[in-house]
Amino acid sequence: MSLEMTAGPPPSRRVKLPPQLLGSWEAGMLVFMAFLYLAGVLINPAFFGTTDAISAVLRDTARFGVMAVGMTFVIVNRDLDLSVGSTLGLVAVSFSILFAPTHLNLDAGTAMLICIGLGLLVGLINGLLVAILRVPPFIATLTMLFIGRGVVLGLTGGKTISYEIKARDYGFFAFGETNALGFNNQILIFLVFAIAGAVLLAKTRIGYETYATGGNDQAAQYAGINTRWVRIRAFLLSSLCAAVAGLMNVAQDKGVTSQYGQGAELIVIAAVIVGGASIAGGRGRVLGACLGAALVVLIDKVLREGVPTTRVIDVGGVKMEVAAMAQLPPGAVPAFLGLLLLGAVLLEPVVVRGNVLGRLKAWLLRQEAPASHDSGGIAIVGVKTMGAASDARGVGLRGFRAFLHRRDAAAIILMVVLWAAGFWLRPDFWGSLDNSFNLLLAFTEIGLLSLGLTYVIANGDIDLSVGSVLALSGAVAAFTMKELGGDPATAVVLALAAGVACGLFNGWLTAKIGMPAFVATLGMFYIARGLAAWLVSGRQLSAFPETYNLLGRNLSVVLESFGIHATGTFAAVARAVSVQTLFLAVVAGIAAVVLGATSFGQKVYATGGNERAASYAGINTQRVRLLSLVFSSLCAAAAGVIYVAYYRSFNPAAGQLRELDAIASVIIGGGSIFGGYGTIIGSLAGAAVITLIRALLSLQIFMSDGSSFVMPQHWMNVFIGLILLAAVIGDIWLRQNNIVSEWKRRRQARAQARHDTRATGVAA
Amino acid sequence: MTLLRLRGIGKEFGAIRALAEIDLTVAAGEVVGLMGDNGAGKSTLVKIIAGNFPPSHGTMIFDDQPVHFSRPIDARSVGIEVVYQDLALADNLTAAANVFLGRELKRRLGPVTVLDHAAMNRRAAALFQELKSETRADDLVRQMSGGQRQAVAIARTRLKEAKLVLMDEPTAAISVRQVAEVLDLIRRLRDAGIAVILISHRMPDVFTVCDRVVVLRRGSKVADKPIQSSSPEEVTALITGAKEAA
Repeated sequence: MSLEMTAGPPPSRRVKLPPQLLGSWEAGMLVFMAFLYLAGVLINPAFFGTTDAISAVLRDTARFGVMAVGMTFVIVNRDLDLSVGSTLGLVAVSFSILFAPTHLNLDAGTAMLICIGLGLLVGLINGLLVAILRVPPFIATLTMLFIGRGVVLGLTGGKTISYEIKARDYGFFAFGETNALGFNNQILIFLVFAIAGAVLLAKTRIGYETYATGGNDQAAQYAGINTRWVRIRAFLLSSLCAAVAGLMNVAQDKGVTSQYGQGAELIVIAAVIVGGASIAGGRGRVLGACLGAALVVLIDKVLREGVPTTRVIDVGGVKMEVAAMAQLPPGAVPAFLGLLLLGAVLLEPVVVRGNVLGRLKAWLLRQEAPASHDSGGIAIVGVKTMGAASDARGVGLRGFRAFLHRRDAAAIILMVVLWAAGFWLRPDFWGSLDNSFNLLLAFTEIGLLSLGLTYVIANGDIDLSVGSVLALSGAVAAFTMKELGGDPATAVVLALAAGVACGLFNGWLTAKIGMPAFVATLGMFYIARGLAAWLVSGRQLSAFPETYNLLGRNLSVVLESFGIHATGTFAAVARAVSVQTLFLAVVAGIAAVVLGATSFGQKVYATGGNERAASYAGINTQRVRLLSLVFSSLCAAAAGVIYVAYYRSFNPAAGQLRELDAIASVIIGGGSIFGGYGTIIGSLAGAAVITLIRALLSLQIFMSDGSSFVMPQHWMNVFIGLILLAAVIGDIWLRQNNIVSEWKRRRQARAQARHDTRATGVAA
Repeated sequence: MTLLRLRGIGKEFGAIRALAEIDLTVAAGEVVGLMGDNGAGKSTLVKIIAGNFPPSHGTMIFDDQPVHFSRPIDARSVGIEVVYQDLALADNLTAAANVFLGRELKRRLGPVTVLDHAAMNRRAAALFQELKSETRADDLVRQMSGGQRQAVAIARTRLKEAKLVLMDEPTAAISVRQVAEVLDLIRRLRDAGIAVILISHRMPDVFTVCDRVVVLRRGSKVADKPIQSSSPEEVTALITGAKEAA
């Protein structure tokens, strides 16, 4: 994805190649950190006033810093690795399983080597997906994040593994201990990685190749640099660092929970960007990233430690004042870190290049504002001629063969096949009313999310925040009814308004500011879920008015609440169809007509196909992209409202991993991750495919020997992740590059060439 | 009859002066070749006429009306069409959809207004026939050859009664046979009374189809004369600065 941010004139003073070790940016960060720490001391002297606090901050910085070293290489390459937190967790869990006496009981050295190998394998997969199979890095590594998380949960079953006693016999665990000099050995490991990484990036050919690849991939290729290998190498490095961080973690804790590394990617990416790297590639320093890690960890600590307060409690009629900590509820911290990430991304292009400080000063002194950069409007140049692709597929075909050439044909066929497969596996159960009802319900949530995403993806953007917005909207609805005592209608309106607000924020960052959609919505991914957790204080809320819950009931319940009793066939239908299914049908109908038959839909496709061409044609592409993102968030918010009504409760984990399902639905249904394609029918068929796969995987299968088997939920998420990757790769290589007909053409050409040489041979 | 008259048009980007005091007139049905080295100001001048950005100073009169464009759509609404160097086509849409991009034909279907694909296909097919191009209206643009893509971009200019068509390097990225097709298309535009400003680096193209040649050098106009009274050698000398002005 190219960035408008890189297009302006380069800031002349700050870019010095080869990058020197410490610049003004780093110095500024050090000063800021000192102030932040002082603030921490003032607010919470009990914690930050001790040397323990300094060593705790440094110890935690060490792990994130090691990961930031690897991540710097990836980001300088203009890639992104969202899987580091997952890799950390995966390595920590794998080590524990290999080492723990309750499990495989290997020795520490072997377990460590296997884990390093595992980390490198994850990096290799990331690298191959991105550099060879050309899957956009955010989608490849996000899927790896979910797959890794699913494997971790599947392996541990959500339980804790600990091996404190066995660990005493192994020197390996000294890596996580405080040494004789009074500081933790992890800090030493961090120093080694930081220095090695800094020298590697600033002073060696590897670093030079990395900057070249991130600055201009094509120019680097022309210069003879194997940019594919450079990118794979960065992913290997990043995963290796994550693996080392995972090992540091188990060395310290001598045990593991399934939560290890959750959200670590956010801290690491924020650290690297805060450290002066550009999300647009080609810029960044290891030492900046390390200081960034310290800064972000410090912020994280300040947020988590809380502020000491006194609280008045009532014990048996006696009022007592007790010391307490005003703490953020669990899960709320990512909201701030997400904001920090977005702020860090905006810092360079908007504040530094846009000369915000200069303009602010001029405004304060009532002087004339300094001229902003005249970017010279939209460039006419930039040849993008694809050349002749003479294969006019599907043109002039009629009937079924024309259908087969539709981009959404595969999804529709797959849907039918999967449904038939379910009937074949469980004829006793599959066709029943209960099952149909459950399938439709599961379908509604994914379908609703995929409606909005169809617009966003057709626009060439992405919305990673749908699952989190679902949670936020549900939290708002639950909070309104439970804590504010609002009536159901107010709750629904506020929940939808929260969704619209998220969408506007996403759209403003993406369309107006020019931030890549995956970064903006990744920020929202954390912000919305953090806010949701904050609103409900990380608890599950339930017991809402029954009129609200009707939104998630089937029609016969709704009718009965109005005193109408259905009979006959109508009753059967009314039991299978619920309010949310009808709602989905209505919204889908409108969305399909708008996208497929109106000029707004045409604008969406044109913007996704060639944004510049669209804007020349008089289309306000910013508005189109903003509206699409708002619609996507609105759909997610509606799904959140329905979620709460259906379950009669709200859980902060609502909608987790749903973005995966929804993106997969749209891509399977004919959308392209590069924009310009996608239909509502296709996306709904894709959503049906995902629903059916989930349903099939969770079917209880009876073996011939009478035993039965059900796949656990975690492994199912791994499977869905694999399907998303397969769908994206299939789209890139089968639909876009048409590798099959290319292969056929080459084979024919080769056969022809053989034939020709034989013919000339005979003639001679 | 004068169609477009530029007076003292200039453009500065910060401290950089891209264009200085350009006067230029274009008559209806005239093909003007705009030539100059890289950085001479051709693209800047075309972008000002096309409404990509406003001039720093100077006046523009089109069809006897003073005009101020701030967006491409403003220029198009008075009858100035542009064929961009990269054609500015959306690869994922059909030829007809590209021709009608931003001004789709619609019909009412009950309460909603929907796109009239059939009418757009018919109209686009007629335009392609008029341009004697083999392009099919319902083909996707991504499956087309360079010449067919040119035809789509040019058909777009014929949709409304355009009066002036700006063409930015239309022959830069296509094969020799397709160049001939494009030059034919330009002649057909001229025969229909439409003025064309052709920006090109290719001397033969300019001398084949243009009535007049304008040469820019370092932001200033150094020549503006009928094609018959000039020669490729003279224009080359003007572009490089070997000859000061003509």
